[in-house]
Amino acid sequence: MTEAVFRETTAEPRTQAVPLSHLSLELGHLYMEDFEAGPERLRRHFAQVVHWAEAVRETARAETGKRPRISTCFLIDDYFTRFSTPRELVPILLAEAERAGLDIDYLARESGCAEAEGAPVAEAVAGRLVEAPPPGAYGARPPAGQTGWLANGERSPVARTPQAMKKAIPWQAPRETAARQHSVFLDVELWSERPGGRKLWSCPFLAAVWQLARLGLLRNEGEAVLTPRPHEGPFPDDWDEMPPLLQLRSRAAPFAAYRTCSVLPNRFLPVEHAVRVILDQTEVDPGALQQVAARSAGEGVAVPASVADRISYVFYAGQ
Amino acid sequence: MNAGENDGEGAVLLCGEVRTCLLPAHQALDIRAAAQLLRLRADERVLVSERPNLYARSPDTLTGVDCPLPSATGAKVRAVGAVAVRGTLTEGRVLQTSARLGLTARGPDHRRPWGHYLVRPGTLEPFGRLPREAVAEGVLAGARRGELDVGLIADGLLTVLLRHPLLDQHPPFKSRPTRLRWTALPAAPGAPGPSIERLTLAEDELRTLRLRVPPGADPAEVAGLCEDLALHDWLLTTVVRLLDGSRLGSADGTAVVRALRPAVDHLLHLWMPRARLEPSLAALWDALEERPGFNRQWQVLVRRIRDQLALHAVPALHQEAVMAP
Repeated sequence: MTEAVFRETTAEPRTQAVPLSHLSLELGHLYMEDFEAGPERLRRHFAQVVHWAEAVRETARAETGKRPRISTCFLIDDYFTRFSTPRELVPILLAEAERAGLDIDYLARESGCAEAEGAPVAEAVAGRLVEAPPPGAYGARPPAGQTGWLANGERSPVARTPQAMKKAIPWQAPRETAARQHSVFLDVELWSERPGGRKLWSCPFLAAVWQLARLGLLRNEGEAVLTPRPHEGPFPDDWDEMPPLLQLRSRAAPFAAYRTCSVLPNRFLPVEHAVRVILDQTEVDPGALQQVAARSAGEGVAVPASVADRISYVFYAGQ
Repeated sequence: MNAGENDGEGAVLLCGEVRTCLLPAHQALDIRAAAQLLRLRADERVLVSERPNLYARSPDTLTGVDCPLPSATGAKVRAVGAVAVRGTLTEGRVLQTSARLGLTARGPDHRRPWGHYLVRPGTLEPFGRLPREAVAEGVLAGARRGELDVGLIADGLLTVLLRHPLLDQHPPFKSRPTRLRWTALPAAPGAPGPSIERLTLAEDELRTLRLRVPPGADPAEVAGLCEDLALHDWLLTTVVRLLDGSRLGSADGTAVVRALRPAVDHLLHLWMPRARLEPSLAALWDALEERPGFNRQWQVLVRRIRDQLALHAVPALHQEAVMAP
């Protein structure tokens, strides 16, 4: 088609592109209990992670057939509990990683997955949830979902106290939509309400947002969100003063990537199952999706079409 | 070209339904309020355009379906996917919701993980092979209970939008909403371009439209054409009804003016066929100029309204003429 003579920028969709690596490798999450357990816990964690991280890198090399662009990241919880300060904690964290021979390229704060520099990231992702239809859904308004919850199938009907002269309805099993013979039914709490009505996002939900950020699929009105800020000077005394996503190494590969891999202790397994359930029912920005598809096709890298299939894990035994 | 370039990927049958109604608000919404009304998602902009008329369009939202398709032959074909639906507001006055989907020629005989369908918004995959002619006819004839009902999805969004707190529920005049149900099959190889096979005005404010479009046509653009047709058909229907109710000739002057005034205040400036259509689809309007002659009918209606108002604007002269022997 010929270039239009007249254009209105407000009438055209636009999506900002973000640079992409082959793989985003997450070296861990840090919660208050980990911090309270002392630096030895971090030391043990990184001592485990280093071997798996090497295996993951080796796999990526074998898959891409060349030197893959891999960036590493680490997530600190400052959303559910506030503990310590960046000035005190970050140097310990970096020292322990270095001792194990690991480099952390990007450091993220969990609250950045709820709201990043004014962009309502979590709220936006919640608005993009499209529940998987149970067989038989034909377009009638879906039965009122359990607000704040998301399941991977149909819930058991609510059991009512039987009225006199009426038979009690026997219990009916919930059903996983994608079940093969038998169900593994999961119902995920996405948020709860804080006093005053504000939402407290759940850990799995923020983890799903975190995955989308690492896959370069988050946008706010077409603009990239959670873009890395370079690290300068000492770490601040308040978490709020630290950018939600900090780039620690200037020569690091891009933060976002075609695929992600997270090396985590196996206590995260239920959370990450929930993340898959959420990602499987999230319609990500089509413009962002297309950019990733075009870029990966351009450099001959196979990227699974389904977003949930782009993430992977290594769960190791331990706390 | 469009946010939904992925949608309809490989689709061999497009279909949809458009609802068109008067915005239930005393004042037409300005462009900012229009953008507020249509903001269906926190992270996506409402597209707004001021040339050649005020127009706002919501982002697409999706509704998942997994059900049999309507079919003229009664063949039971199950399909799964996400139907796309959007809302538009023209000149702050006419509200439309439009649901659309594309069906692929064939699909696996089992349901895939939901994430597979979500990266193809607006595309449904049948179980097995799609009997497209039978389904196209079935869609236009209307779904039976339990079968895919695109109209319900357009209705669902309309219900949500009509409840918006920006709307005072006091429309300036009475009117009826219309429904336009459409299908588009690929044009035969060698066909010069898209064509309208049939446009039917049925009772109950239902219109059905059967199109042929070049293979690979963008479903969002085809839906745009159908929205444009639906908007202008609604304008014709509504103005005809206003004229019908005004009892020209018999009623007294003030009554006629009162009856016709809403048309002048709210409708006459809305006529602007093919304002934002993709050029090859815009050409379809030419066929409608031949028969039934949309533009021709509109021009006649406008002239009639203006003549009536002019006639009643000179009551004194009119009186004199009657009194004179």
